[in-house]
This record gives sequence, C-alpha cells and structure tokens, in this order.
Amino acid sequence: MKNLFWRIQKNNYCITVFFLALATLLAFLFAHIIPGNSPNISLIYILALILIARHTDGYRFGIFAAVFCVISVNYCFTYPYFKLNFTLTGYPITFLGMLTIAIITSATTTRLKQQAFIIAEREKSLMEADKEKMKANLLRAISHDLRTPLTSIIGAASSYTENSEVLSEEEKQDLVSQINDDANWLLNMVENLLSVTRIQNDSSKISTSLEVVEEVVSEAVQRLRKRIPYAQIQVSIPEAFLMVPMDPLLIEQVIINLLENAIIHSESTKPIDLVVTDDSSQVTFHVIDYGKGLKPESIPSLFDGQAYSVSSDSRRGMGIGLSICKTIIQAHNGTITAFNHDDGAEFCFSLPKEAVTNES
Amino acid sequence: MNHKFSILIIEDELHILNFMRKVLTGHDYKVLSASSGKTGLDLISSQCPDLILLDLGLPDMDGVEIIQKVREWSSCPIIVISARTSEQEKVLALDLGADDYITKPFGTSELLARIRTSLRHSNKMNTDSPLFIKPYHAKDLTIDFSKRLITLNGEEIHLTPIEYKIVACLAKNSGKVVTYSAIMLDVWGPYSDTDNKILRVNMANIRRKLESNPAEPTYIYTELGVGYRMKEDESDS
Repeated sequence: MKNLFWRIQKNNYCITVFFLALATLLAFLFAHIIPGNSPNISLIYILALILIARHTDGYRFGIFAAVFCVISVNYCFTYPYFKLNFTLTGYPITFLGMLTIAIITSATTTRLKQQAFIIAEREKSLMEADKEKMKANLLRAISHDLRTPLTSIIGAASSYTENSEVLSEEEKQDLVSQINDDANWLLNMVENLLSVTRIQNDSSKISTSLEVVEEVVSEAVQRLRKRIPYAQIQVSIPEAFLMVPMDPLLIEQVIINLLENAIIHSESTKPIDLVVTDDSSQVTFHVIDYGKGLKPESIPSLFDGQAYSVSSDSRRGMGIGLSICKTIIQAHNGTITAFNHDDGAEFCFSLPKEAVTNES
Repeated sequence: MNHKFSILIIEDELHILNFMRKVLTGHDYKVLSASSGKTGLDLISSQCPDLILLDLGLPDMDGVEIIQKVREWSSCPIIVISARTSEQEKVLALDLGADDYITKPFGTSELLARIRTSLRHSNKMNTDSPLFIKPYHAKDLTIDFSKRLITLNGEEIHLTPIEYKIVACLAKNSGKVVTYSAIMLDVWGPYSDTDNKILRVNMANIRRKLESNPAEPTYIYTELGVGYRMKEDESDS
C-alpha cells in the first residue's frame, strides 16, 4: 500500500488526475444527494487543489488544477448547469482565490523540498569529509608505522651484505633474527589493513557465518604462538557449545591484535588470560594482562588510532591495530572496551548472538 | 636415499621461487621450476614430478585450471600455495583434487612438513593394501582402525559412531587438511545437508572428549573456513 502511494507520488500527472477525478466524483455525488450546495463543492475542490499542490513538484500542476477546479465548478455545479458562465458576480474572486491557494501551497512545498534536499546533501558531504579525514589519518599513521621496521630491515640487510667479513657469527644471527622480527611485524600490519579492506569492500557490510567460538579462539592463539613463540596465554572458554555469527578471519585478527598488544605493552612476563564468557544475548571475549596497566588519560582515545605516539618505542604502538579492532567489532554490531583492573589492563569485546542482518 | 623425490614448483614470483628452490635442494629434493601455468603443465607431462607446489595466482592461467587438467590423468600430490584471506579459493582447490595447501607467508619447516606429509600419503596409496590399515598414533592418542578403538593415555575413549567416523576420516588423512565437504561426504554420504553445522557440533563434542582444553587443541586443529587438520601420524615417520 505504502509502496503504491509512493509510486503515485513519483508521478505528478497521476496525482493531479487522481485528485481531480476524485474531487469531481465526490462533487457529483454531493450534488446528487444535496442539490444546490455549491459552497461545499468548492470546498472539496479547494481541498483537492491543496493536496495536488502539496504533492507535486513545481507550480505547473497546481496552476493547472486551479484552472480546472474553477472551470469545473463553474461548468458543472453552478447555475446555469453544464454551461460556462463567467459573468456571475464575484467569480473573478473565486478564481483568484483558487489560484492564490495553488501558488502559495506549491511555493511552500517546493521550498520545503529544496531545503530537505540541501540538508541531505550537506550531511552527505560532511560524512564524506569525515571519511576522508579518517582515511588520511589512517594513511599517515600507517606510513609512519611502516617506515620504522622497513628502515631497520634495510639497515640490517645492508650491514649484513656490506660488512659480512667483519661481523661475528653471533652478530649475523642477530641481524637476521631482527629482519625476521620486523618482517613479521610488517606482515601483521598488512593483514590488519587487508581486514579493513575486507570490511570496506562491500559498503561496510560484512558477510557473517555461524562460527564455533572455540575454533576461532584456538586458531588465533595458534597463529600468535607461531609468531611470538614465547607468548604465554591461558585460554578458558565455557563448557557449552557456542556458535556466534561473525567473519571468522576478522575476529581472529581482533583476538590476535589484543593478545599481541597485551604481551608487548603489559611489560610483564605473567601469562595473559583469554577468557570467553557467555550470557543470554552476547558472547564476550576478555583479554586480561597482569602488567603495568593503561594510562588513565589515554583510555578514552585508545581506539581512535592516535594513541600510537604515546609509547617511546612508537613502532610497537598499537594505534592502528586497536582502531582496526574497533572498526571490525562495530561492523559486527558489537562493543569493545578497555579498562584497568586491580592488577593490569583488560580489553574486552562482545559479539551479539543474533545475526547482524536481521531485517533482510 | 638413492632415489631423490622430484618437486615441481609453479610460481611466478622469482624471489619466492628462489627461496623455495634453495630450501628444497638443501633438503635433498630434486627441484624443477616453472614460472607460468603453461610451462608448468608441459613439465608435469614430460617430467612426471613426485609432487607439485602450485601458486594459485599465475599470470597466464588460473591455478585451479591446472589442478583440473592434472587430475584428469595423474594423482600426483599437489600442494597449493595461497594467500590467507582467500579461503573460498582454497576450498575450491582442495575440492578439485589438491592434496593440501600452505598459506603465504610460510616458514621453511612448515613447507617441508607439508611436503613430507603429502609424499607419505601418496606413497601409502601406492603400496598399502586396503585390507590392513596401520593404527594411528600421535602423542598419547592411539586409534586402532581394525578394532575401532580409540585410547588416550591408555584409557579407552567412547565416541558415538558418527564421531568415530569423523575422527577416523581425519586420522587416515593425518597431517593434511580435510575440507568440511570432504568430511561430510565421507561420514554422511553424498546426500548430506550442505550446512556443516552438524559437523561442527560433532567436532565440538569430539574435542571435549579428546582434548584437555578444547580451546587449545593438540590433536585436531581448525583451519578456519576450510576444514580440519589432524596431527601428523607419528608411528611411521
């Protein structure tokens, strides 16, 4: 029904014809039931006129309708019937009145529509600008973050090839393992960026599938162990079988980012806890470390992608990592938070159990 | 060993090719290489390598096409090299007959392990008689296929018939990834549901029986979006 009306609204001609026909029909009915009641008939036409002017674009239809109304009232419903007679006293006033109503209503509607359009445009451009700003920020942060490990890789590689006869075996080993470290770090960064393109490819809609929580968690922990062999992680998940709609690779990336963050920034050798809790509407993943905790002043802006310069060793900053985590979790309609507990920091994110796209 | 295994690498990135060639020659394999799909196919038919390492992103043809062409006449093991994010591609390659895949970037030990596993499985197919299947053994887990008996730390583990079928299917392909659809086909038959939720549920139950912590599995690993991989059989390597 709504759809039908909308389609009618799109077509100005249809509207005009529809309302005029309706008004004429009603007028004839009226004239048939109560003869000689021309003021009411005029009222019906005025109503039709206002509706037409309100629902069509521009002035043309309103003016046409006004002329039609005047002629129709004159021709059909005033004495002498079925004859045009503009010599009746006060007729020009009726005509002018109708025309004025049509023009005023049309003008108001047109202006309203124009304003709505302008506002929508402005909002769109504002959003675009915001997006552009975010992109520029991300790019700046990325190039900053990528340059440092690249410099170190190139430096290490060139010192290996240029000074290979002076360097001891141990120093060579050192250089190579440093290259390895940096390359791995770069890889993680690139994978983070790839996950962002995975989100933005399809206008920020992600394709979710039902995934088993323990499988995603175990895969994330394994991949992290492969990269950081000394990582100590204690995993505990609920005994129950849990399936949550998600993009498994993205969630895996979030878990890896949070775990790596905890390992590198907690400055503690105590094992990290990865705890999954389950309540009726959502599943929550907690990454708890027992280190120095977060700086209270940095907590509000932690996920904005600007926290990376706080740490002295800015390469290890997780600014981009955390902002990507936030993007991913938001795309899943979930929430991500960070806070200090008594003995360190805790990051947790929740995923809703219901499917992300419910309406379709 | 008097007979060297020959391995054909089809890869268009020169640096990656070089690195793999060095590693494999260093480990006593005979290495052939091709940088395009066409020369790769020619080499396969002229040299009959024992194993093919295939990069899916080739300049002249789709790697999947090569798998199909090779599978028309040869059962030579194929290991697919692919990027991490394209799980759809991996599943397709595996379902078309690739034996295993390895995700870029990979370490040398991972590459060598995959190659060993695939070669072993292809040897098994050539020599093992189907009447006798050796028991699977890894860490504390033993599976005796003839008695349908699974023991962990010497204690018998009770699995439902479906769960046993899944574990047996994985154990017979131990070390290799087995796609969801391959397991579904093996366990539930060709008319099974396309939804693999039932498999996931069964797998969760199996893990609760076999693994001390299902979130940190030691026997059956998950390959997200692709399938499962069981720990390599330790008894005959």
